[in-house]
Amino acid sequence: MKINGVQIDNNFAEAFPMKATRIIVTAMNLKWAYRAANALRGFATSVIACGVEADIEKELKPSETPDGRPGLSLMIFAMSTKQLEKQVPIRVGQTVMTTATTACYSGMESDTQVSMGKSLRYFGDGYQISKIINGKRFWRIPIMHGEFICEETTGVQPAIGGGNFLILAKSARQGLTACEKAVDAIKKVEGVITAFPGGVVGSGSKVGSKYPFLSASTNEAFCPTLKGVVKTELGPEIGSVLEIVIDGLDEASVAKAMRIGIREVCSYGPKNGIYRISAGNYGGNLGPHLFYLHEILK
Amino acid sequence: MSDLTFILKEKPKFTLDMSPIIPEKLSGLNQTKIKKIKLIYGKESLDVGELFEISGKAGECISIEKSCDKLICVGKNMKKGSITIKGNVGDLLGQSMNRGTITVKGNAGSWVGTAMTGGEITVIGNVGNFTGAGLPGDTFGMNRGLIHVHGNTGDRVGDQMRRGMIFVHGNAGDYCGSRMHAGTVVILGQVGKYPGDSMRRGTIILAKKPKHIAATFKSCGNLKMQFLRLFFTQLSEMKTDFSVLNKFGPLTHRFLGDLSRNGKGELLILQAMDRR
Repeated sequence: MKINGVQIDNNFAEAFPMKATRIIVTAMNLKWAYRAANALRGFATSVIACGVEADIEKELKPSETPDGRPGLSLMIFAMSTKQLEKQVPIRVGQTVMTTATTACYSGMESDTQVSMGKSLRYFGDGYQISKIINGKRFWRIPIMHGEFICEETTGVQPAIGGGNFLILAKSARQGLTACEKAVDAIKKVEGVITAFPGGVVGSGSKVGSKYPFLSASTNEAFCPTLKGVVKTELGPEIGSVLEIVIDGLDEASVAKAMRIGIREVCSYGPKNGIYRISAGNYGGNLGPHLFYLHEILK
Repeated sequence: MSDLTFILKEKPKFTLDMSPIIPEKLSGLNQTKIKKIKLIYGKESLDVGELFEISGKAGECISIEKSCDKLICVGKNMKKGSITIKGNVGDLLGQSMNRGTITVKGNAGSWVGTAMTGGEITVIGNVGNFTGAGLPGDTFGMNRGLIHVHGNTGDRVGDQMRRGMIFVHGNAGDYCGSRMHAGTVVILGQVGKYPGDSMRRGTIILAKKPKHIAATFKSCGNLKMQFLRLFFTQLSEMKTDFSVLNKFGPLTHRFLGDLSRNGKGELLILQAMDRR
């Protein structure tokens, strides 16, 4: 299969089950909402070592937020609800609450819930106030800039992590130019995030390592500098490989994001140094969600 | 299917306990059986059929027409459905109700929503004293639910309230929110003396400065309360009647108290402005 002269490998991306939550961060203006959101999603690129994967899903108009202020919706993915229960209060407490004028609300309805204000309220040292409005409990924590409002819990739902595709390009500069466009297009898909910096992975990994203490290590088959030394997947024309990893709330949204992203990358074509699209998989051993490139691009 | 309608034949001389007339108790009964239900009238019991003309079929909705202030305990212990009352109604409306809605197209007596644990009461007219309060001897007043009064309320609205919200479009009497444990009272009209007297926690939101605030409430000054943005937005989404709050901004004069009870309750006196 070829799109605009770019070869699409007959390969599949292997994704795995995760748990996801969505939170809404509002602030005096979008600038400060972004400050909080960027702090929260910092060091949340991969569950391999960060605990969670998180990113901004989209901007919200004042009419779309619980308190009528501008805000952002963020999604946080983890391998288990327990992990989310640990990470969400810590991240909201240390990043959103510490950002001036912010408030934090749940953006997902579900029977399964993880704490937010329920844990953070103790920061109020006895001066916190609980309010139930429209059936939802909010905590008002007095803080130095005024009051931090935080919903008691946020919903959790099953999700999918690790949807991906690889961009095999002539150079890193050319690959990244195409990837940036692809990430911008993926951002328009609801229910998905690309948690890595800029949405692009510069150091894609394989499972395991020669070192027993390491659960993931460099994917040498796709490293251009190791061509000729290892069993490589790269032809002589490939000088750089980038990866876009997509986490989503369901298979359909991940597949849609992959399709849109791949088509955007392919629009650059071989003229602009984009030669091949492949996908990362582990022989079907890692997860039950297999995204065959040829199928999703039909 | 038409609502089950009770039309009062004539105004009773004594109080009439209407507590058996709730949707869950009438469910599955035909009119003959409903007419034989006993209601406590003064010191005696009378059949429903002697007091009311009945039409419609028993279901989730009940309508009471030509009602008057002698009808007490309407909707007591109600757990589902709705009751609509055309005319005035007496004391203890919605006492201990748990779910469902009661709408009064007239005035209501005292103790509206006393000890209620859920559901919603709307009174288009005025209500008496002790709205949402606990009965004498009770530890708490209303515990969840919403009481929405379009007119005025008497004294001690929300006395000993534990949770929930009382929203009054008109005026309130003295000791509004007295002995509150938690919950929210909103009064858009004028409030009498000593609001929040002996309150421990909870929020009293006033659109106008009360006649007198006890010395045991300490001013925190004029503040922009983030909470009010959330509160106003959420309430406006709940009911269009609440969108009247949109004319107020987050700027408020905050008082904390009642310090005589080591209380952490708050009195928020709103100031009209562009809320953005």
